[in-house]
Amino acid sequence: MSPNDLQSLFPEVVLVLGGILLLLLDAFGPSLRRGFTGIALLVTAVAAWAVTEIPYGTSCNHLLESTGATRALSLVVLLATFLSLLASQGYLQRERILSGEYHALLLWCATGLLLMLRATELLTVFLALETLSLCLYALAAYNRRVRVGTEAAIKYFLMGAFVSAFVLYGLALVYGATGSTRFAEIGSALRTSGMPVTASLGLLLLVAGFGFKMSVVPFHAWAPDTYQGAPSPFVAFLSVAPKASAAMVLFRLLEVAALGGASGAKWSKMVALLSVLSMVAGNLLALAQRDIKRMLAYSGIAHMGYLLLALVVLNRESLTPVIVYLLAYTLMNAGAFTIVGMLYTKPDEQHAIADLAGLGYRYPVPGVCLTVCMLSLGGIPPTLGFLGKYLVFLDAVGDGLVGLAVVGVLASLVGVFYYLRVVYTLYMKSEAQASEGLLLDGWGRAAAVIAAAGTLAVGIWPTRLLSWLLAASPFR
Amino acid sequence: MDDFLQLALGNTLTRLVFFPAAACLPLLFFRREAVKAVKVYTFVAGLVELALGLLYVAGHPANPGAFGPSLTAAGAGDGAWSWIPSYGIRYQLAADGISMPLVLLTVLLLPLVVLGSFRGIERHWRAFGAALLLLTTGLLGALLAADLFLFYVFWEVMLVPMYLLIGIWGGERRIYAAVKFFLFTMAGSLLMLIAVLWMGFTFHRLTGAWSFAYADLLRLNLPLHTEILLFGAFALTFAIKVPMFPLHTWLPDAHVEAPTGGSVILAGVMLKLGTYGFLRFALPLFPRASLAARPLLVACALVGILYGALVAWAQVDMKKLVAYSSIAHLGFVMLGLLAADTLAWQGALLQMINHGLSTGALFLLVGMLYDRRHTKQFAEFGGLAKVMPVFAFFLVFSTLASVGLPLLNGFAGEFLILLGSFRALGWPAAVATFGVVLAAIYLLKMLQQTIWGSLTKDENRGLADLSAREVWTLVPLCVFMLWIGVAPNTFLAPSRPALNHLLADYKARLVEAPPGAPEVRPLVERLAEVGR
Repeated sequence: MSPNDLQSLFPEVVLVLGGILLLLLDAFGPSLRRGFTGIALLVTAVAAWAVTEIPYGTSCNHLLESTGATRALSLVVLLATFLSLLASQGYLQRERILSGEYHALLLWCATGLLLMLRATELLTVFLALETLSLCLYALAAYNRRVRVGTEAAIKYFLMGAFVSAFVLYGLALVYGATGSTRFAEIGSALRTSGMPVTASLGLLLLVAGFGFKMSVVPFHAWAPDTYQGAPSPFVAFLSVAPKASAAMVLFRLLEVAALGGASGAKWSKMVALLSVLSMVAGNLLALAQRDIKRMLAYSGIAHMGYLLLALVVLNRESLTPVIVYLLAYTLMNAGAFTIVGMLYTKPDEQHAIADLAGLGYRYPVPGVCLTVCMLSLGGIPPTLGFLGKYLVFLDAVGDGLVGLAVVGVLASLVGVFYYLRVVYTLYMKSEAQASEGLLLDGWGRAAAVIAAAGTLAVGIWPTRLLSWLLAASPFR
Repeated sequence: MDDFLQLALGNTLTRLVFFPAAACLPLLFFRREAVKAVKVYTFVAGLVELALGLLYVAGHPANPGAFGPSLTAAGAGDGAWSWIPSYGIRYQLAADGISMPLVLLTVLLLPLVVLGSFRGIERHWRAFGAALLLLTTGLLGALLAADLFLFYVFWEVMLVPMYLLIGIWGGERRIYAAVKFFLFTMAGSLLMLIAVLWMGFTFHRLTGAWSFAYADLLRLNLPLHTEILLFGAFALTFAIKVPMFPLHTWLPDAHVEAPTGGSVILAGVMLKLGTYGFLRFALPLFPRASLAARPLLVACALVGILYGALVAWAQVDMKKLVAYSSIAHLGFVMLGLLAADTLAWQGALLQMINHGLSTGALFLLVGMLYDRRHTKQFAEFGGLAKVMPVFAFFLVFSTLASVGLPLLNGFAGEFLILLGSFRALGWPAAVATFGVVLAAIYLLKMLQQTIWGSLTKDENRGLADLSAREVWTLVPLCVFMLWIGVAPNTFLAPSRPALNHLLADYKARLVEAPPGAPEVRPLVERLAEVGR
């Protein structure tokens, strides 16, 4: 292992060691528990710095690569981790389950995600996926006193087991057909030999597997139940970070698949179909929800549909809208789940939207932040959510997919309706009764404010971000 | 950084547009109980904004035709800042004779609306002030944006405060009305977004440079069928906002439920964004398609004039009557715009201002009555002239202005529209003339049932007449109604060069043969046209 390899693995090393440190501290110094969030935040920040220090290029025997895209997405993943950690402190204290395991598991999730983003080889992707998934299952069931939580975790686990099987099976088939597990070599094998049936079946299984992780229709069924039952601050992480990494892997897979000669167009059509199904079904199903966490779950499905629009036709520019969209989605969705975690007392009960009635006046800061997040999710300027949509639709129109873009905007109109429902419940309905036991702690408020302010600030002033993404970074 | 300071603090459009938004921030530091201080603060902010508007006009005397093709040459706007350079999106504001009158109307209405809401708005004054100020920023930005991306951003930005105004301070069915308003407007504008994207992308494909600038997109020369699709998206957006006949159903709901201040801004300025959109974007960007769609749009405008008037006649609620009268009045404006005639366009622009003044005043008056009696039904009134003579005076004055009595503003606008559209369109103008008669009928019916006749209701006997504050809310509007009526040319002259320039450009493009595939006109030719 060369120093270069060590440097490129530094973020992961920091995160893993940070997790171990927290576990040890939990065992030997339980009185320090209140400081765990601070330590974990520090570890995340160091990892983020380390990410920016990785030189572009491949490392670890060409198993990992670093490009502008992976760097940006790594930062998005770490941002999600950061926000989720901030949001968790209040929740864990209120539920009296504050211990080092939670933070350690979250940091290890981030480790898996960073590896998955940068892996140029399918077995590495699989190993990263397993690292990630095991931690996610444990976290989903973390609040074990809550029955819904356990149910959610079991569902997620069963689905996740299928995903692992799909990915492994797909991997084997692709290896069998092309003789390699490296994306680049698979690509060149497909280019010379065309697309054998086994390879296309294998790729299909792999796409399905990562479709599960991204919760696109028809692989979405786990999302609403899991989101509803799992701890809200953790959902702030679960609903965004794995999608960022999965999107990158999906991009690599589709890029490889597009090389397979004439069948490239078929893959385009398939992605277009997944996108339309996700946009339409996600938005329509979200419309029917009365529970805000389920609503956000379905809306997340729709958002992944918009995201896929940029991946229907792959070209050099396709990744920029994807990255901006994922950044926007991370800020606004994590922000929304953070506030949901603060405003609802008992994780067991339903998170009915109606319970938010009039809370916008009683809790002005979370109210305004939630409003900003909702407007951003709805794609109203000048928020980052609008910019993300704008770039995705611009990419789609540029690829000649005007019809898909029209479907997308019509679906997002449906979206506006249910996002507005949250806003008017906050401000235009009178408060039913004062809710008790809310824990609006400083950490959670900070997360909400960072998310909302970030959504607005980057939405209004995206100049730097976009020019860095487009110009400074060599996208392979 | 110096550029930034110059933009923010100099006598610029940027300062004009963003001052209200910046003025929202101090509202955060007022205590919840300090309602009076908040009211005064918001009013003063409105006055300062009005002063900034006047200062801008005084500082930039004449910019004929400064918006479109000649923008680069005349440089009447705030410098084109690269906002999102990777996609050629520029922050660029510019004013000319078409947008400036509407800007001035907006900044005039802002302090009056604040003053007029002192009594009607009882809850959450800080939020109310902030919503009004942010709304002003959105409206001004949309009127002044010279880049279509920027225009779209402002176009959507103004939805949120208006949604809150209707939804928080509105009547009983406020949530329904607010959501309906939001979704209707959004439905159109999302399709416009796709059209804008397509144009920006096509410009990129043809020239290799990204741009969403109005001046650049005007250079696109498109085949007819493409133009028709794009024009459809733009026209739908603006027609919903105007609102034109089959798409008007959100307006009565929004008006009836909105608080007085919201109604005044909605009718006074926001609807004009629709007609402004036609004049600025939909017609000049797609001349051939707009000519092809003209019969349909003229028909919609005519139906709007007559149907709006007839429905207004049938109303038993004062506010609904005024709301439907807006549909009829804006039908006239649309007719004038579609005529594409120099007189009709001047009349249409003047009528946009007129409608803002007279309908604004009418909504304020209805609101003042509602503050006293908490009803807007005709059946509850009658003979009010006996107890509220000052109120009666202002109501009669504003109504007559709205009817189009000579020597008041409505006459000048409607007359020019009818004259111009008769010249260009023929019989549709004759049909529209019936709208003038109907307007007299339903508006005079309103007068008859509220202020004339005998006092039939005991509740009305003790009504207090207008307070000094209320009088001063109305006086500026009435002064302008009379002024425009007596000396319309004072108000027409500043806009004439810009309108004629735009019209000449529009007509010049109409005679060109449509290309087989999208193409971009060379820049040289455009500059030559400007020099012409």
